[in-house]
Amino acid sequence: METRRDVFQAIADPTRREIIDLLARQPMNLNAIAEHFDITRPAISNHIRILNECGIVSVDQIGRERFCKIEPRQLRQVSEWVGRYESLWMQKVDSFEKYLHELKSKRKKHGRK
Amino acid sequence: MAGNELAKRTLTLKKTFDAPIELVWEAWTQPEHIGRWWGPNGMPIKIVEHNFKVGGKWKYVMTMPNGSDFISHGVYSEIVKFEKIITSANFIPMTEGVEIRALFEKNGKKTNFTFSVVHPTEEYCRQQEKMGFYNGWGSAFERLNGYLKTQH
Repeated sequence: METRRDVFQAIADPTRREIIDLLARQPMNLNAIAEHFDITRPAISNHIRILNECGIVSVDQIGRERFCKIEPRQLRQVSEWVGRYESLWMQKVDSFEKYLHELKSKRKKHGRK
Repeated sequence: MAGNELAKRTLTLKKTFDAPIELVWEAWTQPEHIGRWWGPNGMPIKIVEHNFKVGGKWKYVMTMPNGSDFISHGVYSEIVKFEKIITSANFIPMTEGVEIRALFEKNGKKTNFTFSVVHPTEEYCRQQEKMGFYNGWGSAFERLNGYLKTQH
């Protein structure tokens, strides 16, 4: 079965996030990207392929070089999504709310107010 | 200039809880409840001190899976029942010298809740805001956001 790739799959992997981070600063060719990592060039190439399939990175073959560049439009979707979860405090307040609901239903069961 | 203006160094969250104010207040202020929600993802915490009165200290310790302690503590500076709690707070080692303001307002059977974190400076506020990003994606997404802003 063919699985559809989406932008969230692209960022699910820490190496891919680092690649995105690198490319967000400047377009790079594959070798230059690979130099930043301890893993093999084919492994990097595979990550780039996934990023490309997710629509986050475009790859241009220029002579023997493959130039990789960020496609910002897709990524904006991610940053908007992450933005909603950005705050540590929000996590705390959410955690409080969750507990509050538990407490409320527990009290109801026990017939207390 | 207006760099130190209160609004610019404050992060604010607003919510309406689907619970009466009495219950919200209880859950927010009683140690047996605090222990259940204070830690992220239900991580247990130890309530070392919880002196819920103006001038009273609180200190909660969460032991991380790697054995190191994450300590949060502060001193209450204002408490008005069913209305507000203001406390200083330090979350060592991440956030220090902030003031937390929790405001409660009865809204029928619900409760309006406003949670503000006031930072000592605007700069610190921005830095903290960015640090709050999810699971260490922070720095990457921070740069990414900067990048995306230049694209339009």
